[in-house]
Parts: sequence; C-alpha cells; structure tokens
Amino acid sequence: MARLRPVLKAIATAMKRERKTFGSIATNNFFVASLLMADAVGFLYLLGALVVLFPLSTDPLRKIPPERLAIWPLSAVEHRRLRLLTPWLNPVTWGLAALAIWALRHTESFSLLALAAGLFAIGFFVPSVSGEPVFLRWIPAPGGAFVQLVRKSLREMMLTLDFYLALLLGVSALAYRLYVPAFPEEGRMVMTLLIVLALSSYAQCLFGLESKGGLTRYRLMPIEGWEILAAKDVAYLLVILVVTAPLSAITGLAAGLAALAVGHAASLQEGREQTRWRFSSGASFNNGVTQVLAIAGAGVTAYRITPLILLPCVLACAGSAWWYGRKLQSEL
Amino acid sequence: MISCHNLTRRFGDFTAVDNLSFEIPAGSICAFMGPNGAGKSTTVNMLTGLLTPTSGDATVAGLSIVKGGLELRKRIGVLPANLGLFDDLTVAEHLTLTGDVYGLKREDTHLRTEQLLRALDLENGRNVFASRCSSGMRKKTALAMALIHNPPVLFLDEPFEAIDPFTSRTISELLSRVARRGTTVFLTSHILSTIERMATQFIVIRDGHIVWNAPASELTKSLEEMYFDLVEYPPVEDLEWLGSGPS
Repeated sequence: MARLRPVLKAIATAMKRERKTFGSIATNNFFVASLLMADAVGFLYLLGALVVLFPLSTDPLRKIPPERLAIWPLSAVEHRRLRLLTPWLNPVTWGLAALAIWALRHTESFSLLALAAGLFAIGFFVPSVSGEPVFLRWIPAPGGAFVQLVRKSLREMMLTLDFYLALLLGVSALAYRLYVPAFPEEGRMVMTLLIVLALSSYAQCLFGLESKGGLTRYRLMPIEGWEILAAKDVAYLLVILVVTAPLSAITGLAAGLAALAVGHAASLQEGREQTRWRFSSGASFNNGVTQVLAIAGAGVTAYRITPLILLPCVLACAGSAWWYGRKLQSEL
Repeated sequence: MISCHNLTRRFGDFTAVDNLSFEIPAGSICAFMGPNGAGKSTTVNMLTGLLTPTSGDATVAGLSIVKGGLELRKRIGVLPANLGLFDDLTVAEHLTLTGDVYGLKREDTHLRTEQLLRALDLENGRNVFASRCSSGMRKKTALAMALIHNPPVLFLDEPFEAIDPFTSRTISELLSRVARRGTTVFLTSHILSTIERMATQFIVIRDGHIVWNAPASELTKSLEEMYFDLVEYPPVEDLEWLGSGPS
C-alpha cells in the first residue's frame, strides 16, 4: 500500500485540478442568467448536469499514462487495487453510490439511477472525451481557404459543452413541438433565446481553444484579420441556424449576430484560454450583461416586431468584425 | 535575398538579439547555429514577421520585414519553433488549407499534397488530427506546409529535430535541390553533422551577437570542432549518486 499511496495522491491532485476547470460555469452566461428564471432554473440546471456528466465521469486512472503505469515497479496485486480504488477519487462515483442507496428506498427512482449510471458508464469507458472524436472528421469542406477555416471553427465549437447544451435544448424543443400540438407561440421565442444564450459565452472567447501553434499559423498566413474573425462568425451562425431551425431561425440569427457583435471585443482583448469539453467562461460580468441584453433585444424584436432587425444586426456584427479584425491584424 | 541591418530585439532590460547584420544571397542554405537561448528563434521570428524588431530592419525577398505585411507572408515559407499547427485539423487538411490560403489552384494543391505526403512519409497518417500526431509527424506536417506554395525564401526552425534518419536525409536532399534552383534556405539546427553536409553558409550566434559568419568553403576543420571552439560550454557537474548502486 505504501507504493500506492503516492500514486493515488497524484491522481487525486490531478482530479482536483481538473474539477477546477469546471468552474467556468460560474462565468457562463447561460448558468448565470438561468438563476433569474425562477420557474425553469431546476430544469435548465438538470440539462446542464446531463451535459457535464460525460466529461466529469472520466476514469481517474487515465490521468496516468498507461506506459508510465506499466514502467513503475507495481505488482499485479497493486495494479488491481489501483483499479478498484481510483474510481472513488471521482466525486461522481460517490454521488452515484448515494443515489443508489436512496433508490433502494425509493424504487420509483430506479429509472433516474439507471440513466445517471448509464451516462457515467459511457463517460468512464469512452476514451475520446479528452481529444477529438471521430465524428468531427465528417464535417465537409467543399473547397477554399475560408470554408476550411469555417470547418475548423465548427470543430472547435463542437469541443465545448455549450454546443451540446444548445443541441439538447434544441432537440428537447423539437420533441416538445412534435408531440404537443399546442406548443405556445411564446415558447418558441423563449427556447430560441435560451439556445443562443447557451452559446453566447463562446462568442466572448472565439480564440479560446486555439493552441499557441494555431495562433502562430494565423500570423504566418497571408490573410486579413477580419477574414479569420468572419470564418469564426460564420461557423457560429451556422450552428445557431441549424439548432434553432425547428423553432425560429430568424430570431436565432438576430440574437446570434448580436451576441457576436458584443463578443468580438472580449474575444480579442481578454484572450481567455478555454478548456476542451467544458463550458465556455465569459470575459466579465459587464460583458455578459451587455451580451444578454443585446441577445434579448435583438431576438424579441425579430420575433415580435419585425425580422428587418436582422439588417442592423448584420451591420453591427460585420462592423465589429471589421474593426476587431483590424486590431487582430495589427496584433498579428 | 535576406539582408539584415542592425537588427535588435529587447525584452525589457534583456537584449535577446543585438545589432545583427548579415547578408544571405539567393540560392544559399544558411545554417544559423548557437546554444539554447542564444537568440536564434528570436531572429527567425523577426525575419518572418512574427516579432517586431526593437530597432533595425531586414529585407526578405525584397520586402522590409517591418512594412512587408501580407505580401511578405506570401513570399516566405516558415517552419516555426512551435510548428504552428491547428489541433483540430488532420495532416492532409493542413496542406489543403495552406494551398488554398496561398492561392494555389485546387489541382496543384492536391498534386503537391500527395507528393509531399509521399516524400515525407506521411501518407499513413494523413487523416490523423494534429493533436494526435507524434512529434515527428507534426514536424513533417509543418515542414510540408512551408514547402507547398514553393516560396522563394524558406525559414526552418530546427527542421531535423525529432525526425528519423531516412526522412532527415530526404529533407536535406530536398532542400539542397530547391536551393540549387534559387530558393534561399535559412535554417537553425543543432544536428551539426547534417547541416555540415548541406549548408553553404554558417552563422554562429552567442548571447545575441554573431561570433562567426563564413561560407562553407572557409570551413578549415569539422563543423563540430569549429562550433565547440566558438561556443563555450559549462563544465558538466558530476552527479555522484548516479551509477553508485541502487538508492
């Protein structure tokens, strides 16, 4: 056991550090704004919890590279002990155990336990949650540098939990719309705005997932700063267009354009690094409030008053992309 | 083709590169050498526009590195120290993107991509994301990106490190051929045996100053001997516990 202790300690330290990266929720527009929605906060946080369960469920033993584990002078018994003990360094295991004990007395909760345990098992055994999953390759790029940059940005978006939360919201709304004939008109607008809200913090950190190498390559490429920014914007708007299509795509686009128009400044000036498979963290409270107000203003106007609001939204976003593209160019 | 005039770069009080001046004619292969921290990468970064000089200027392919902007970027091919790869693109996608960005025709990009993948033994890894590639594959991908648009000047920061001997020989032969056709190659490396065979000019830098700049014809002894004469190295500390039985 003496030899296992430092190994377990190292894994525990790594897990603790990893848990800290989930703190990005504290500055994510969606989760901050959800607190104001008294009736729906439970449901919205449940959706967030479902999305976050996958990356939280990783096998702690994977924190040690298998080659290193094989080199260390540990006996077969010690390896087995390590296998049995390390899952308990993940708080989700304790949560599941508590849920299991609770479900023994409340048999009606077995389905919830089964769902949580299933999601946990997927997160625990699927090794790809830390890298690029295979499906990212399927995004087509018919040709041209700009289209390829858009594809690259799409892939980056799909490595954030914001994307999956928006997708879950979109799918939930679509299912509701299909199975409940009297889907309230206002509900379409609210759900659309919630989807854009879920993606809004990402608009404040468009370069957050770029590695240092990637930023160097941008500087070496003979392309203008606004083109780089525009490729990121197009990818962002494409996602919004697809996810909000069953609800109100015009509302989604107007709100998305507003989110980008406000978000460009933070993306360039704050330069916050983001972690893959986490929720995006917003730049600052002021920026978040401005963005939420812009999203709500543009979205509500597009849905209730006139879709022509798209025009000023496009102009604002294009103007902001041009202005901050110039800044990006000078910094490059 | 590369002309450097009193190029200086300071980081606060620290002067990384001090009044560097040299000329490299077209078609040369210049090996830029020096110990770690001597100022090699800083110089390369300035010459490729990645870093603005504190003072001085240089012209590369006829353009000032300070004012060259996008036009300068079009005329150079760069293998940067951090390789400049996007984690979310595969090896082949990096080359396609580069071809498109530099305005190559689709057919040319495709043809050159296939040739470079073959030449650099990257064919089997063409669909691997850069973040999943080995360090050798990443290096070769970045090198292919520097070559694909056939620029008149190449800047290669340590192109032979982490590369297997066969590919290393392929690269050095490739570079010797392009240099004979007029391309200027400016490279940094610590693999002295390789660069001794191919370079036509040697520059050694130490503490931000040039301590030796000569054509290959002036090399009177082996490059390794010359290098150790020019660059002082600290005495090796004897770690007495190492090799003295199990601890």
